[in-house]
Amino acid sequence: MAWVRVWPKWQRLLHAGLALTMIAALVTYEGGRLHELAGYAALALVLLRLALGFVGPMQARFTAFARAPMVTWDYARALWQGCEARYLNHNPLGAWMVVLLLSLGAGAAVTGAIYVTNRFWGEAWLIAAHALLAWPLGLLIPLHVAGVIHASRRHCENLVGAMWWHGCKRDESPDAQGKRRA
Amino acid sequence: MKNRIQCLLAATAFTFCASVSATGLATCDSGPRSGWQTIEKLEKQLSERGWTVRRVKEDGGCYEVYAIDDKGQRVEAYFHPVTLAPVPTKSR
Repeated sequence: MAWVRVWPKWQRLLHAGLALTMIAALVTYEGGRLHELAGYAALALVLLRLALGFVGPMQARFTAFARAPMVTWDYARALWQGCEARYLNHNPLGAWMVVLLLSLGAGAAVTGAIYVTNRFWGEAWLIAAHALLAWPLGLLIPLHVAGVIHASRRHCENLVGAMWWHGCKRDESPDAQGKRRA
Repeated sequence: MKNRIQCLLAATAFTFCASVSATGLATCDSGPRSGWQTIEKLEKQLSERGWTVRRVKEDGGCYEVYAIDDKGQRVEAYFHPVTLAPVPTKSR
């Protein structure tokens, strides 16, 4: 069987960092030193990932995996009927989840960082904006994990292992099939 | 397939609900509101100590104060509405 390295090490490390800092910030939602440290770290990582999404390696760019709304809708319908296609990179729903997680993470981290300055401390509208941006992450992160588990089972592969450990996925392209036969 | 997706969505919603059980940092046994001192009095008392009060709201029966203290530090402190005494908060 042919394997292809889909997630290079930098991307796996960045994903792990994003996951850990965002979850740490959510768990310590009442604030305090750890919450602020997690938030600053998450901010740095999110900005790095967003930047690489525009100027990074081709396969990591948003243009490489973000699909048009209609394509995404068709994918969602196929998913519901249990006949969705397999993607090597993010599938269309997964791609929009990536965009959503990064955008909300950036928004939450920026509003949080501004809130803890002496100038803006105690501003009700700012903490409301921070909560409004951050709390959906508490729903979307479990949904993201659920989507990964679902796709793993549907296509008989371990996507958690691919993103957290070895970075490889099965290559089912006609090209790879040909090489295997040859 | 629909069943499995529904199961995953339900598990997701449960995880979310279990994680959202927000509580404040302190509670006060402060009785009826008629016995409370005014926010203005608390603000005056704190500004006399050199604090710049940014916001006062109620949380867990206490007055919750966001302020810059006399040393220029950000503080989030709780005060008892009847006595206006500081209320110790959970360390975090």
